[in-house]
Amino acid sequence: MTADIEMGAEMGAEMGAETGAHPAAPETADVLAVTEEVWRSFLGESEPLLPGPPSDRAHAVTGAVTVTGGWDGAVTVTFTPEGAAAAACAMLGLDPTDVPSPGDVADAVGELVNMVGGNVKSLMPGPSTLSLPVVAGGRVTPASEDREVVRLDLTWTGHPVTISVHTKGSR
Amino acid sequence: MTISTQSFAYVADLVRRETSMLYDPGKEYLVEARLLPLAREAGHGDVDAYIASLRTDVVQRRRAIDALTINETSWFRDNAPYQVFTDELLPPILSARAHTRRISVWSAACSSGQEIYSIAMLLHEHLPPGWTTDLLATDVSTAMLDRVEKGRYSQVEMNRGMPAPRLVRWFSRVGAEWEVSADLRAQVRTRHLNLAAPFPFGLAPTGGFDVIFLRNVLIYFDLETKRDILRRVRDLVAPDGVLILGSSESSLDLDQQWTREAIGRVQVHRPVGARATAYTPPALQGA
Amino acid sequence: MLALIIDDSRAMRMILRRIVTGLGFEAIEAGHGREALDHLERGRVPDVCLIDWNMPVMDGYAFVTEVRSRPEWRHITLMMVTTESEHGQIVKALAAGAHEYVIKPFTPEAITEKLELLGLVRDGALV
Repeated sequence: MTADIEMGAEMGAEMGAETGAHPAAPETADVLAVTEEVWRSFLGESEPLLPGPPSDRAHAVTGAVTVTGGWDGAVTVTFTPEGAAAAACAMLGLDPTDVPSPGDVADAVGELVNMVGGNVKSLMPGPSTLSLPVVAGGRVTPASEDREVVRLDLTWTGHPVTISVHTKGSR
Repeated sequence: MTISTQSFAYVADLVRRETSMLYDPGKEYLVEARLLPLAREAGHGDVDAYIASLRTDVVQRRRAIDALTINETSWFRDNAPYQVFTDELLPPILSARAHTRRISVWSAACSSGQEIYSIAMLLHEHLPPGWTTDLLATDVSTAMLDRVEKGRYSQVEMNRGMPAPRLVRWFSRVGAEWEVSADLRAQVRTRHLNLAAPFPFGLAPTGGFDVIFLRNVLIYFDLETKRDILRRVRDLVAPDGVLILGSSESSLDLDQQWTREAIGRVQVHRPVGARATAYTPPALQGA
Repeated sequence: MLALIIDDSRAMRMILRRIVTGLGFEAIEAGHGREALDHLERGRVPDVCLIDWNMPVMDGYAFVTEVRSRPEWRHITLMMVTTESEHGQIVKALAAGAHEYVIKPFTPEAITEKLELLGLVRDGALV
């Protein structure tokens, strides 16, 4: 499993007195656990989610949610176009040979990132609010002061999938 | 689908013997899906190669079994036996044990612990103040016993049959999982036990168990072993105690040593003429 | 029997619709709490509501509170289906009058078992 982890060891040191926000990160193992549960529940057991090599291709379709409050961060799920289409078919009960509409893909990817993000939210200090999901073509460019704290490079049905958690704010 | 018939048969048999869970033909894809991550991690090219390694690799065998049985059990499984337990079985026990104010329950083949903890929750809700419990959970899998002791369950496992009010009463979040309260965990004692082998001395409390849950495990033993297990279990049940089997298990194989009574949709079994070895007359207790 | 599915996610509504119609329910949908109340007020009163928490206009918690305040709707079974999985949130929803709580992600079996717990389903079919 390739996981570029920044666990924020200095999280205790930077208490962010002005904002009250704590720079902190979820455990990679926990993020993987919630992602696997989301996948197993809605994308079927017949094709498991597996560790995969990092891939630049897996950034054509990105779903993102942000969390604001006791923890400020963002969670993204990224796919290749084929992977996103396959996910939409599996989730919405479409025939695998169908071509899902852009709306179908947005709905499916949006709900996947909603569930992964919602579960990451409850791993972190609360109370906090989960944003509505946004789905776009391309990759998210993090703000200059955001840090990627968890990254999971995975494979599903032969397509690369990347889960990423960013913490907002400076070190 | 790459898993061979032979590999699937081996795995299905292994799981059945170790955990009593059934993988019927048609579920090959599930075995493949659940073992592929482990196979890759262990450096095998495919699931067949990994399964072949299980014959000699005890550590991997345990991991494989855990991966194949996760999420398959639920809380308050089948519901009716638990309903019968609180509504019909408990009141007479409360009278019969009024002098000791202690109830003992054995969850034999406890798996990941949902059964014993379900029972523990019900007892908390129904026992009058001043009563104590003796709750034993046994299993042939040490990995399962470990799970019972830790009392941690995934979100998906918590969604299976756990009423939300009980969830908030008895569990707290730990990372991505839910953990049984320390009170409840402290009440359950675990012990490694192979049902098919002679029971160790001292397994049962004096007088025998008031209720024994032996659900969904007997059916996978051959007739002779099944009878032997039931004979030995009968030595450990209180003379006025009760044995409960799985909902789909026929009790036709039980000999005349047990009587069967239907309470609603649930069959309960009582020992006929229980042997003296399991029962210490009150005069000798505390001697 | 009628099930009302309340979620701003079309994908989730489709998934839940598949599950409940498979059990024999008729299903209607709403994208948020206000839309769901409109159904009720127009006489389409469900036997059970499956309610997401986070929705625009009117969220699931507000919907539960509103429904439980109306005596004529007291018989409706209210089941949250949400990613909100903190202990405190579940307590809050139950205190507001939700009868059951399913945490996303869930399997079809989980929904079915909860509906069985609530007495609406037995052996995989409507009671």
